[in-house]
Amino acid sequence: MKKSKYIQLVLITAALASCNQAKKPDWGDNTNVHIRSDSTAPYTNVHHHGGIGTALLWYYAFRPYGNYNNGYYQRAGYYSSAIHPSSNIGSNGFKAAVSRGGFGRSGFSVSS
Amino acid sequence: MQRNQITARNNWQNEVEKLGFGFHSTNVPYWDESVYYSFEMPEILAIEKATNELWDLCLGAVQHEMDNNLYCKFNIPEWAIPMIEKSWTEDHPAIYGRFDLCYKDGQIKLLEFNADTPTSLYEAGIVQWFWLQDFDKNKDQFNSVHEKLINYWKYLKNYLNPGILHFTCLKETLEDLTNTEYLRDCAIQAGIETKLVFIDDIGWDDAGKQFLDLEDQPIKNIFKLYPWEWLLAESFGKNIPNDTNRALWIEPAWKMILSNKAILPILWELYPDCAYLLPAYFEEGKLTNYVKKPILSREGANIDLVMKNMSLAKTDGQYGNEGYIYQELFTLPNYADHYPVIGSWIIGQEAAGMGIREADSLITDNKSRFVPHFIK
Repeated sequence: MKKSKYIQLVLITAALASCNQAKKPDWGDNTNVHIRSDSTAPYTNVHHHGGIGTALLWYYAFRPYGNYNNGYYQRAGYYSSAIHPSSNIGSNGFKAAVSRGGFGRSGFSVSS
Repeated sequence: MQRNQITARNNWQNEVEKLGFGFHSTNVPYWDESVYYSFEMPEILAIEKATNELWDLCLGAVQHEMDNNLYCKFNIPEWAIPMIEKSWTEDHPAIYGRFDLCYKDGQIKLLEFNADTPTSLYEAGIVQWFWLQDFDKNKDQFNSVHEKLINYWKYLKNYLNPGILHFTCLKETLEDLTNTEYLRDCAIQAGIETKLVFIDDIGWDDAGKQFLDLEDQPIKNIFKLYPWEWLLAESFGKNIPNDTNRALWIEPAWKMILSNKAILPILWELYPDCAYLLPAYFEEGKLTNYVKKPILSREGANIDLVMKNMSLAKTDGQYGNEGYIYQELFTLPNYADHYPVIGSWIIGQEAAGMGIREADSLITDNKSRFVPHFIK
């Protein structure tokens, strides 16, 4: 036999099936959106890059941002790569210690 | 190798979506089960043998490239060379690659090697396997992708740095995420602790000289579905050699050599008697019928098929600034104006299965369809 005898997936099926709900973005191409990641940061205007359904939402998603200290998680705020660095960091010294966004600007898919 | 038309399952979209395969269609189906290819076992054995032999030749070609300092042919920046050679001499873990093969008139020819960021792994390993369960589960298929991935992650586990294995890819692409999450799924089944961080969320701690995830956990091992040439060109690229954690990047930096089409003339120079290789050169004018390919390009972009100085087919794109190679023309087989290319997977050190993509022209581009296969 040249094929796998049995296949089990533990992670991917449910997670990605839920990403496939085609959803029209609520924001039109010409919508002006001003967002910031926390109250210490100024608002800036963002332009979305297109994308599909959930993929677009991933891009704009704010992700919890924090660190582990002596085994305890400390939340420092939120972060989104869709917005300008000044609106991500603000005066939050913890966030400012780490720079982000230095990878990921060369393309929209690696499809080969 | 035969092409057969059938009626797709009535609810095929639901069936593949249940597997987590969400990018089965764009404007037209990408997954196409109205067609399948059937193979005789000797044909599969021939593809398997070719894949294993080509892998061995590729490893030899990497060593040759380093021994002879041919990096300029690959447009690899000088500052990255120590990092590449270190990843080779220290045998940093690599897990997979996909040879794109032309199979015609009993001959197998290497068109290119997707050694760094091959995609369509999920379609090849999972979607077509489950399709066969519905179609005829007693039939065989050239596809042990899944068990080989789990087994090789188990093997690699002992070579990783202590800590989590991060997985990363671009955010806005379901195709890339699916391939990445599938590899992570297999790593989890191999007992490895994993975590997903999108490539643009990766942080650099300049004081500690280390890469961090969004919870500021240091990145010690990272699988990336993101090309090395992009990593090097971006602002964090030069931090990689300065990383105090000496993170293991999978695929490793030496895969930069194999994923570059400049490897094709090197392979030909080294192994001109190999039946799987096509003549290939850096110089124009040595071939009458040839394919002009950028050394770095994706999805069939900027390809020019030339026969007796006439262009047979040509694609546009954004690649070519880094240089071109010229490979003898060996056109894909024509099945009623459909042109299949075989993507043959190497996982660990072994041939592991294949996926077929079918295009409506001689150049396999981003509009090609993935079609399943089985062994008669």
